[in-house]
Amino acid sequence: MATAPPALSFSRPAFAKLSPHPFLLASLSQSDSTTPASRTNGRAPNQDRPFQIHTSSLAHAHGSALVRLGDTTVVCGVRGEILPVTSIPQYRPATLYDVEQLDAGGSVGLGRGELKDYDLLVPNIELATGCAPQFLPGVPPTTLAQKLSTRVYSLLHSCNVVDPKDLRIWYHPPQLATDEDDKMDEDDGQEDQAAKPELKAYWVLYIDLLFVSFDGNPFDAAWTAVIAALKDTKLPVVRWDPDRELAVCDSRTNVSALNIRGLPVSCTAAVFLEKEHAEGGEAHKNKYWMLLDPDRLEEELCQEVVTVVVDRSEGETRIRSIEKQGGIVIGRELIRGFVGIAEKRWEAVRCAMAKDIL
Amino acid sequence: MADRRRINGPAGATLPPVYLNEDAQPSDDSKISRTRAANAIRKLYLKTGVTPSASGSAYLEIEAPGGGAVSGLKLSCTVHGPRSLPRSTPFSPHIILSTHVKYAPFATKQRHGYLRDPMERDLGTHLEAALRGAIIADRWPKSGVDVIISIIEGDQDRQTSKSQELGSWETMNALAGCITVASAALADAGIDCVDTIAGGVAALVKDAGDNNSPRIVIDPIPLEHEKILSACCVAYLPTRDEVTNLWFKGDLPASDMELYTQLVETGIQAAKSANLVLVECLHETMG
Repeated sequence: MATAPPALSFSRPAFAKLSPHPFLLASLSQSDSTTPASRTNGRAPNQDRPFQIHTSSLAHAHGSALVRLGDTTVVCGVRGEILPVTSIPQYRPATLYDVEQLDAGGSVGLGRGELKDYDLLVPNIELATGCAPQFLPGVPPTTLAQKLSTRVYSLLHSCNVVDPKDLRIWYHPPQLATDEDDKMDEDDGQEDQAAKPELKAYWVLYIDLLFVSFDGNPFDAAWTAVIAALKDTKLPVVRWDPDRELAVCDSRTNVSALNIRGLPVSCTAAVFLEKEHAEGGEAHKNKYWMLLDPDRLEEELCQEVVTVVVDRSEGETRIRSIEKQGGIVIGRELIRGFVGIAEKRWEAVRCAMAKDIL
Repeated sequence: MADRRRINGPAGATLPPVYLNEDAQPSDDSKISRTRAANAIRKLYLKTGVTPSASGSAYLEIEAPGGGAVSGLKLSCTVHGPRSLPRSTPFSPHIILSTHVKYAPFATKQRHGYLRDPMERDLGTHLEAALRGAIIADRWPKSGVDVIISIIEGDQDRQTSKSQELGSWETMNALAGCITVASAALADAGIDCVDTIAGGVAALVKDAGDNNSPRIVIDPIPLEHEKILSACCVAYLPTRDEVTNLWFKGDLPASDMELYTQLVETGIQAAKSANLVLVECLHETMG
């Protein structure tokens, strides 16, 4: 009769599920100052998960990459298909001269215009693979999937990663210089020489991403997979067959790699607040932690997320994009500091990619 | 109408690249011959627990034969559940199983769209029938379980020629793989089954050369044979000696019942071989 009620204690997963916010808070704010604050996944607040990258594992894609970021696994396949200019509505014919002028003149205006105007890059992210309990198939793409696809799409264009030169398919009319043309009469020959190369078609890159496993930070994983897959992409060498009005490839082995400019790397952190619902003036006094590379539990608890895309491939750090959503904690100072963290992340990604190539 | 929730790309139709030399002659070097014995399956690689956030998951890879001319099968399966059904669902005395099979857009030679096509629905239905016979469904009344398979890479040759007639046979191999991988994922999720179920394919094939009479092989690869006359995919429970799903396709004389039985028997052999790998894998991970 006198048995004391059992002490109320839960296992860690049960605690995490029942009251996630106090669970993470208790883990971060250790009572004694000797032990450093750590997250529920055992990492320090500014510790990220290492990238593992494997490329060229898919046979049917022109380029592919598998990226693991802790328990987040994403597969990216890049496939090129040919878009004849005749099936582009509102196509503006461009001659080789125009294009060379613009490319050489440093004005990337036309180049970027082509990619964007004719929609030559088609990234799509599929989350509904059962990669986490909230993403089940049979429903239209979730808001998160749409948002991620759009962010990858706009970043691909704004970073200018793909060189439009690689995607153009030219038709070079036969020239007189070859021997068998000797018998042709003068007029014909001159006409041929005057014939200018014509732009006949474009490659369209379908960039499809499939999440095999989802444990937070989908954008960093997806973006790294896109870059790794694009760097791996080898399109077959193609020529225009005027008789068939068709672009044809001679062989599967004769391929050329895409020219990928730079190595933009994205780095994401989430802000975790001590008080879940702080009002107005109090919000400034609220204690916070910046959690680098958040996992699924942390992402659900954080309102404020910041993503910085940096590129150090030309020596100095160039910021390609800064995105921040929700919350009022992150200001100028914090973002400046965060760029430093992103630089370290860039080195880590570069090493992971180099390791894969070796 | 184009799906506005995805990025659809250019409005005009795009064409996959056309390869000249392959269309001209079905080259001899693309034809690979079967090096395995007629009763040997290809090597399987099976691993459970690839998706930690799911209740159960598994990854299956079948080795690609013949130096890259054919891609191997790569499947990833996740199981979510058992979990409670939404309130609106009527009472069910047993677990409600739902299966989804989806090809990744980059899984095959032709780019797959994001909407499920009839072939994928077909695979899902066959998979459901196969698994329903294995799960002890009345242990979980009023609950549901989802089995989701993504085909990351299909079992398909890279050549463009002959693709139309070959396509249908490859779905059989895909189904057999789906059954095996789903069984591993169900075990990983801890859902009670009467036995481990595995899939196997047997086919009646005709090899190149005129004097060869048709023979029965297991785990056929269409490219390795001149012609596949008929094939059957079997989902088999070894300890119960029970077939839960049988999918037969092709052309076989109705008078010859012997041949038909033989084909199913051979399919069971294939399933037994796959089951060995499955049990081995589960022993390793479950300890």
